Amino acid sequence: MDLAMLFTAFDLPFMARALLVLVVLSLVAGLVGVLVNLRGLEFISDGLTHAVFPGVAIGFVWGGRDGLFVGAMVAALIAAVVLTVIVKRAVTSDAAIAIVFTAMFSVGIIVVSRETNYVGQLDALLFGRLLTVSPAEVNQTVVVCLIALIIVGSTLKEQVFRAFDLEGSRAAGYRPLVLDVLLNVAIALVVVAASSAVGNLLVLAVLIVPGAVARLVTNRLWLLFPVAAGFAILAAWVGLALGYDASVNGGVDLPSGATVVLVLVAGYVVALIVRLALDRTGGPRRARRVAVAH
Amino acid sequence: MAAASFAYDAEPALTGIDFMVLPGQAVALIGPNGSGKSTLLKGILGLIARTAGDVEVLGQWPAPAGYIGYVPQTDQLDPNFPVSLEQVVMMGRYRSLGWWRMPAKADRRAVAEALETVGLGNRAKTRFGELSGGQQQRGLLARAVASAPRLLLLDEPFNGLDQVNRDALIDTVKRLKKQGVAVLVSTHDLDLARAVCESVLLLNGAQVAFGPRDTVLTLANVQQAFGSVGVEMDEHTIVVPGHGGH
Repeated sequence: MDLAMLFTAFDLPFMARALLVLVVLSLVAGLVGVLVNLRGLEFISDGLTHAVFPGVAIGFVWGGRDGLFVGAMVAALIAAVVLTVIVKRAVTSDAAIAIVFTAMFSVGIIVVSRETNYVGQLDALLFGRLLTVSPAEVNQTVVVCLIALIIVGSTLKEQVFRAFDLEGSRAAGYRPLVLDVLLNVAIALVVVAASSAVGNLLVLAVLIVPGAVARLVTNRLWLLFPVAAGFAILAAWVGLALGYDASVNGGVDLPSGATVVLVLVAGYVVALIVRLALDRTGGPRRARRVAVAH
Repeated sequence: MAAASFAYDAEPALTGIDFMVLPGQAVALIGPNGSGKSTLLKGILGLIARTAGDVEVLGQWPAPAGYIGYVPQTDQLDPNFPVSLEQVVMMGRYRSLGWWRMPAKADRRAVAEALETVGLGNRAKTRFGELSGGQQQRGLLARAVASAPRLLLLDEPFNGLDQVNRDALIDTVKRLKKQGVAVLVSTHDLDLARAVCESVLLLNGAQVAFGPRDTVLTLANVQQAFGSVGVEMDEHTIVVPGHGGH
């Protein structure tokens, strides 16, 4: 790939918009994603993306791409609250999440399947259309991300306390249910913000991979957040440029959302290999990895 | 606390509790595993429901948030969590900080002082999970100290601690008592009870006895609490047959 492409590609307005959406998304997903990682909420996040889907689908069928956003928003808020309660009440939360959210996902598929051009619509909803994001959608993404940012930013230290020591934070007078609803709403908002750009399925990678990479890179709590966000931005940039380069110079039409996700995952693999290599050579954090292995 | 009961769900876990602890004094909770020591501490914190009786903590019920320091058992914490000792102790300041606000200079000073108090001033930057069990226990005690509590609850603080850590812990508890902090400590260890506690509450799913340490800690009372006449007791420990010494 021509390295200049890393910059020139973004002279095109649609490429610049795609990058802007992903940068905003990366900043918030980095923050929220680290909390997802610290709390071990990956599976619940997966559930949320499924649960938001019927909202996306119904909104889309009703009002086109503008309706998509509203539908996703409503579904996300309902799902986040329901999810928090299920997890609190259910005997085995994994089964409960899986049952409720695959059911909701199926509802979404059925709704979309009533439409003509079913396959094309489904494809766009599940995998997004990063390169055809409109200026209005950029605005929506920014607003939704900002709300998520405020929710998590204002409760960040309490969320970390809760993640580290549930009993201790309850003893200090914090209500875990409140913190959980807030975090789940923030996760849901990220899912919404990302659903029109990277799509309902790929958003999971944006939420989970940067946090996991940050955990591999550093053990310092307040570094996790900038590392995750920075890594996500880098991956978005490289992924978009790669996809563009492949279609312009290589004649291969790479779906941009999926390319970004693969770059994210490739970055994770590299971080993992470096981490393992450092641990093997007795790097500074050997003890920790050994502890994980047990 | 008068005739109080606490329960998980509908099953009463602990009944007939009737005792009090005054500022600057300490009560030891002694009883076999599952006798309700942790339940009582969690009941006081409001983490499990009170089902009967009257409870007042610092003159109020439910207990006022922010005045109780709680030192849980460290084995419930994830050793891989990326947080330094200093950051754990800072969590004790969060409540007084409020939402939004980041720690200020006064908070950092309080954290440093709390770490000095428990003798871990030189380990501030160490990752919490890399500390020994005893040091983690002292770190959680420092977190409680940093929150400037009026009531301190300690859950089995001596579990797995060596002599150095025990001494450091006893010193800290004594110092807090001098400052007027009331202390409630669950323990198997009579040394701890003798070192810092004026009173003892013997438990076995219900209250067996409460009163001044030496009046309550009789062989007959202890045998009743541990439900076995085979139980023996010396200066330091209660020996339960088949369990080894505690």
